[in-house]
Amino acid sequence: MRFFVNGSPRDVDPERSPTLLAALRDQLGLTGPKLSCDHGECGACTVRLAGDPIYACLTLTAACEGASVQTVEGLADGRALHPIQRAFITHDATQCGFCTPGQLMAAAALLERTPHPTEDEIRAAMSGNLCRCGTYPKIIAAIRAAALDADDVP
Amino acid sequence: MTPRKKNPLAPPRARFVQTVVEVEGRTETRVVELPAFEPAPWTADTPLSIVGTSPPRVDAFEKVTGRARYSADIVRPGMLHAVLVRSPVAKGTVVSIRLEAAQKMPGVRAVMGPGDAPPTTRLFRRDISYAGQPLAAVCAESLDAAERAACTLAAALHIEVAPHVVTVDDALAPGAPLVRKTGNSTEPDVVERGDVAQGLAAADVTLNREYRTPVALHSALEPHGAVCEWNDDHLTVWESTQGIFRVRSDIAKALGMPQAKVRVLKDYMGGGFGAKNGAGAHTFTAALFARQLGAPVRCINDRRAEQTDSGNRPSTIQKVTIAARRDGTLTALVLDAHIPLGISGWEGGPAQIFHELYSCPNVRTTETCVYINASGMSAFRGPGYVEGAFALESAMNALARALQMDPVALRRKNLATHDERTGRAFSGNRLDECYVEGMKRFGWTSPVSRLSSSVSRVKRGSGVAAQTWPTGGGPPSYANVRINSDGSVDVLAGTQDLGTGARTILAQIAADTLGAQLNTVRAVIGDTERLPYTGNSWGSMTTPSVGPAVRMAAEEAKTHLLEAASQLLDVPVERLSTHDSQILSDSVVSLSFSELCRRLGNVQITGRGSRGPNPELAVVTVGAQFAEVEVDAETGIVRVLRLVAVHDAGRIINPALAESQLHGGIIQGVGYALFEERHLDRALGVTLNANLHDYKVPTMADVPAIDASFLNGADPAANHIGARGIAEPPIIPTAPAIAAAVADALDVEIGEIPLTPWRVLGALAQ
Repeated sequence: MRFFVNGSPRDVDPERSPTLLAALRDQLGLTGPKLSCDHGECGACTVRLAGDPIYACLTLTAACEGASVQTVEGLADGRALHPIQRAFITHDATQCGFCTPGQLMAAAALLERTPHPTEDEIRAAMSGNLCRCGTYPKIIAAIRAAALDADDVP
Repeated sequence: MTPRKKNPLAPPRARFVQTVVEVEGRTETRVVELPAFEPAPWTADTPLSIVGTSPPRVDAFEKVTGRARYSADIVRPGMLHAVLVRSPVAKGTVVSIRLEAAQKMPGVRAVMGPGDAPPTTRLFRRDISYAGQPLAAVCAESLDAAERAACTLAAALHIEVAPHVVTVDDALAPGAPLVRKTGNSTEPDVVERGDVAQGLAAADVTLNREYRTPVALHSALEPHGAVCEWNDDHLTVWESTQGIFRVRSDIAKALGMPQAKVRVLKDYMGGGFGAKNGAGAHTFTAALFARQLGAPVRCINDRRAEQTDSGNRPSTIQKVTIAARRDGTLTALVLDAHIPLGISGWEGGPAQIFHELYSCPNVRTTETCVYINASGMSAFRGPGYVEGAFALESAMNALARALQMDPVALRRKNLATHDERTGRAFSGNRLDECYVEGMKRFGWTSPVSRLSSSVSRVKRGSGVAAQTWPTGGGPPSYANVRINSDGSVDVLAGTQDLGTGARTILAQIAADTLGAQLNTVRAVIGDTERLPYTGNSWGSMTTPSVGPAVRMAAEEAKTHLLEAASQLLDVPVERLSTHDSQILSDSVVSLSFSELCRRLGNVQITGRGSRGPNPELAVVTVGAQFAEVEVDAETGIVRVLRLVAVHDAGRIINPALAESQLHGGIIQGVGYALFEERHLDRALGVTLNANLHDYKVPTMADVPAIDASFLNGADPAANHIGARGIAEPPIIPTAPAIAAAVADALDVEIGEIPLTPWRVLGALAQ
């Protein structure tokens, strides 16, 4: 089965990896998305499917045929980090970093849909991504900063 | 107190002396190495240029690009996957298990059941004493195949079920089934100072309260897990752990092999919070299958196992008597606590904070640990003190209400001036300043003078609570510093970064000491084979334990660097200094580190450091937190609007990272106060909410505005970098501060957390 991951055509066997998360991690070696709850409860596996943030652990590989999937590995443009990645670094929006790839993908999707989210919009959009270390205040700050940062880059 | 030796040459050799160390609130006497020299302490006035600033985490790039690899991301050639089969019942005996059907399934390579693992691993025992106990395991070519076979194995179990007990009342009832052969409870541990009867007699006000706290689950997003690989008789283990050396000794003991043949690696880990302090069933299972099959094996807990059998903060039932004079002076504190530990655990209970937080001449605490048929407890961020603080601080707030006194004024009246438990002076304790600063930031007004809550259904209230926690750290801890031939620096210490930022702050300490640019310094951690020993990252110990060892190693390396420069430049060493990776001669730049090291060729400049003994002082981190809440009296929903936290932890190495630790503790405290509660079914003995949907950890939508800060300063009496620990203190006062705010809003005290809507409504109905 062929689909597009981080802009490149990739072939995986959906029989071997029924979930998109397993296909990405086990067949394509993309270990950015994490397996944590396996039930769509924590958001550590969040990737983007056609731009939307989705739980890869609840998404069937077979349903992604021909689709475009983006993982944290595809967020930067080569060495140039995405504004949300830069903002996560400068605002210390990671602690252990395990939930970070999922947080980044949810945040990137939010910023694309809503370039200037209010704090309430951020909280609502991000509440499907748990962070047990409690980095939330800094993630909020990072998302707000990235929204401003994006304005500076034409 | 051991005198600090400033002269690096005298005495020439290390000596060994006794010292007292605190681990997770417990005090131990140990024999430790007295370093040959210790640098003069960094005081509050010592000019530092990298320590005390907030550069980004040194591993932030890896974390935001998905390159940081955690245990489950490790892939080895030919790697197999192991899955444990766990008991569905709380008590009973495995009569038989038919392994054959699972063995024959596609992809399955091996199966283990009762009797197949060495008894030292305690794996696959026939006696079942809690639901979730590992009974068998399967190893297969894919995780999917292993999971399918595990289902088949589970169905092939023949268990004779026996009656269990999972509540304190059931465990202590006459004729209750025995959880442990020695009985279902420990002897009550009574600790008393002064004369409580006299203290009660001298009181104008005496209150009796009962408080209950829930079982809380660590719920790290990265589950426990390991990858094990043998090379002949040498075992390499990639483990998600807070203590690589502890995992190494656990494995060496369990498998009967020398520590030299076990290498434990940990690069990144996805949170621990106290639950990842040693090897576990997953480690031994992976190691045994890997040895048997001659292939690397990965074994990672699934979420259900993680929420069932990876440790927990035990619940408590605490009966408190608090007595004071009319002016608020405490005359007696009495605690009688029951703590159901599960099948095992240590007695790090709620009593200690009753002896330490306040000045009170008469204190008696009684702790009785109870064994129940549930997975054993383990340390969880501020173990004991979190539970104890909920009771003690709630009782203080009740006392303030009874006395019609401002709860902050009541606390400031009873400040501890020294550690009354041990009689030791504090190395530093600025709790009073924390109250003052916190009141200012919060805009605190005494509830006594405040108008009572409005008549609307949504009511607001404010509350306060305080915290103490021993954060001195201690030896043994070793570090080496190595300056490479291009002038770059390696800091080598066998510690681990749980997400706290240890990797970053150790690099900062070394860079500042050496006068090197931070981006030339790399902290190498997490490898038992190639790095010097440090202890577990628990008890908020890493900064005050490993930090001084790193500084000492860097001081020694700097001494050698300057000696070499002195020879090359023909300038006396006294006239040389370092800054920004440059050697300065009479404060003028004369040579860069890289040029100096290039000229030296492959001469390696190294320094060795160790953590010296502790002073005979009580080293604590203290703080106060203020909460404002909104309670909907019709739905019972509590919303925390804001939290102000001010803590005193001595020198802060990296303010941004330290602030993140405060946020983390406070947010976990919000969960403990409002949502988090393991539900263990009394009839079935199984956990009903062993997932992240029904066990509620805070989401971003639940988090209030947080103003978290530290007092500026340093604690040079604690250790020579002047820093104390900060990871655990912030979770301690959050729940009682929130509960006090709820009581203020509703005019009803609720003695049990979490303050779920039904609990709030129940209290309002009474």
